[in-house]
Amino acid sequence: MIEFRDVSKRYEDGTLAVKELSLTVNRGEIFVLIGPSGCGKTTTMKMVNRLIDHTDGKILIDGKEIYQFDIFELRRNIGYVLQQIALFPHLTVEENISVVPELKKWKKERTKDRVTELMKIAGLDPKLRSKKPAELSGGQQQRVGVLRALAADPDVILMDEPFSALDPISRGQLQDDIKRLNDELGKTILFVTHDMQEAMKLGDRIALMRDGELILVGTPEEILASEDPFVLEFTQRGRGELDA
Amino acid sequence: MLETFQNRQGQLVEALIEHLQLSVVSLLIAVLIAVPLGIWLTRRKKIAETAIGVTAIIQTIPSLALLGLMIPLVGIGALPAIIALVLYALLPILRNTFTGLNEVDKSLLEAARACGMKPNQSLMKVELPLALPVIMAGIRTAMVLIVGTATLAALVGAGGLGTLILLGINRNDNYLILLGAIPAAILALLFDFLLRQMEGATATRNKAKLIAVSTVLALVIVTPLAFGRSQETDLVVAGKLGPEPEILMNMYKLLIEEETDLTVSVKPNFGETTFVWGALQSGDVDIYPEFTGTALASLVKETPESNDAGEVYEQAREALAEEGYVMLEPMQFNNTYALAIPRDYAEAEDITAISDLRNVQSDIQAGFTLEFTDREDGYPGLQNEYGLDFPSVVSMEQKLRYRAIARGDVNLVDAYATDPDIAENDLVVLEDDRQFFPPYQGAPLMKEETLEEYPEIEDALNQLAGKITDEQMSELNRRVAYGNERAYDVAKDFLEQEGLL
Ligand SMILES: Nc1ncnc2c1ncn2[C@@H]1O[C@H](COP(=O)(O)OP(=O)(O)O)[C@@H](O)[C@H]1O
Ligand SMILES: [Mg+2]
Repeated sequence: MIEFRDVSKRYEDGTLAVKELSLTVNRGEIFVLIGPSGCGKTTTMKMVNRLIDHTDGKILIDGKEIYQFDIFELRRNIGYVLQQIALFPHLTVEENISVVPELKKWKKERTKDRVTELMKIAGLDPKLRSKKPAELSGGQQQRVGVLRALAADPDVILMDEPFSALDPISRGQLQDDIKRLNDELGKTILFVTHDMQEAMKLGDRIALMRDGELILVGTPEEILASEDPFVLEFTQRGRGELDA
Repeated sequence: MLETFQNRQGQLVEALIEHLQLSVVSLLIAVLIAVPLGIWLTRRKKIAETAIGVTAIIQTIPSLALLGLMIPLVGIGALPAIIALVLYALLPILRNTFTGLNEVDKSLLEAARACGMKPNQSLMKVELPLALPVIMAGIRTAMVLIVGTATLAALVGAGGLGTLILLGINRNDNYLILLGAIPAAILALLFDFLLRQMEGATATRNKAKLIAVSTVLALVIVTPLAFGRSQETDLVVAGKLGPEPEILMNMYKLLIEEETDLTVSVKPNFGETTFVWGALQSGDVDIYPEFTGTALASLVKETPESNDAGEVYEQAREALAEEGYVMLEPMQFNNTYALAIPRDYAEAEDITAISDLRNVQSDIQAGFTLEFTDREDGYPGLQNEYGLDFPSVVSMEQKLRYRAIARGDVNLVDAYATDPDIAENDLVVLEDDRQFFPPYQGAPLMKEETLEEYPEIEDALNQLAGKITDEQMSELNRRVAYGNERAYDVAKDFLEQEGLL
């Protein structure tokens, strides 16, 4: 469970990117943050694993303030998937997936078994194990990116527009995978997107942001039923992609 | 070529080992300094530009000047050479480490952080491996630079393949020059190969290969160290580049060892005046032959009060004594500037003295060393004194001006009176009938302390006082430069003939 209590972020240059945000992501749900570009989604998400430090309010994970964790342990216990995929190009698929388990000093055998298990779950050909990322297709690469985040079995996973760089077919498949993984493994997923269709498909709950503020939080049905003019504008355009 | 190779095999192996050692040690030190510095600078971007700028400035200092500056500070031998080589190698390694690390994709750095890597883990696991090809390119550039520049190490007594090259230049022996230059090129290629292997092994994390290549490099460093070959002697006699200083210092050695119980080692082919003088000041060298005119103009920086050889020596001796140096009595020959023209031309036009040039002025095409065209006791002063003004004057390198006059490109050159090239190229020296050129007589120069410690060397060396005429010196030089004889043998031969041994 992730809790934001009146969280604000002011960057060094004075930009107030997130304004007194309060919300709770429940254990085991896929929580989607959506909103136009620059509204503060990435900032909000990165504050959870302290890639960015918030400047006001409190963020708690399972009731404990994030500052009370060792920062490196905190990050190792939170999966992170980037839009740029950002697999380490000099490492093999297996080594990429093993990064966090190795940092957590898992036994070699355990890490190896874990890689086998994950690749099976994601439907990746075991032959890819020793391949370099450059030899994989974009969809395969991001699957590995997701596996890297899942490797050390974190309870919480952060995903920042993870599929927006992929072709529509791969994107659809990966969305299905995420949905399935969440059902099977019960992970808490904070998912950022600017694609309303994706939000509707994946989200147990969806939070709509604008200018660093939360406009509305609700289930996909509640969002569709909302009368708020901004939400209306957003959902109408949400038939396609929303890119402000 | 093959003959040269066979004759010099032992010398080549020694030079090659020294060269290897100098290069590898310098490269290693440069890497150990520049890579960590480059890493540190990526975290201090503000001073990075300044730091890289400083290394860039260091690199623009001519290597000879850098070596010259080093001698008063750290003396001679491998140390100044290694310091200079390291300084040269810093720029490419530092710049490439810095850019290599900076070019690492920012999203990869974020991924590393998000995975929970600590800064040094991110550095070791992500940043350095990704920057490795760029860093290695810098190291390879540095290596080529080092192997090439290390040929100059011979000028400060550090040995290496430059020894053969210098010797070849002295002896007009192109094969000998190649014998130094070709192995240097092969060495550069070999290093390049080893470094590429190392890079490949690191990238694929092939531990066996990495260990193998590292072992080869380590052996290269350690092997020469095991050959430790410094034999201590009481005195070290050195000399500038060229056959004449080498012959003279061998005479000094022979005379001192004949007359006293002292042991003497010789270090030939020091670069130029500032190098040997610096080495004498720092105590790395005890004695070297210096010219009276040079001592006055370059060492104590006085203008000669007269053009009389005896008075110039006295003036130089007194000025040096004030600074704590002793210049013993000079030999007879006067290796001063001279003007030389082809013998047939001289005979045809009946030219014997510099004044005679006025009659043929408009036909003269002069080839002078840069120094001569520039010095007050060179062409400018000569113009005033003799009222000469040649229609064509080109400046060129010492050796090349003899080739130019031999080919007929020029018909007048400046020369040093005892150059063997004068006779070899069938030139005649024109009489300085107005006694314009200051005298340059050779004499042993040393610190006062040296003479106080070993007073017996004064008598030994003064046996040469007033000896050796211009013609004799010129002939001795010719035997070394063109006759393929060793300076030691030529010196010994002469001293025996003179009844000094
Ligand atoms: N490092 C930063 N310094 C200053 N302003 C920033 C920085 N990063 C983002 N911002 C600003 O904060 C706001 C929110 O950015 P971001 O969280 O990236 O939005 P989103 O992910 O919704 O597109 C934007 O106005 C952006 O320009
Ligand atoms: Mg964003």
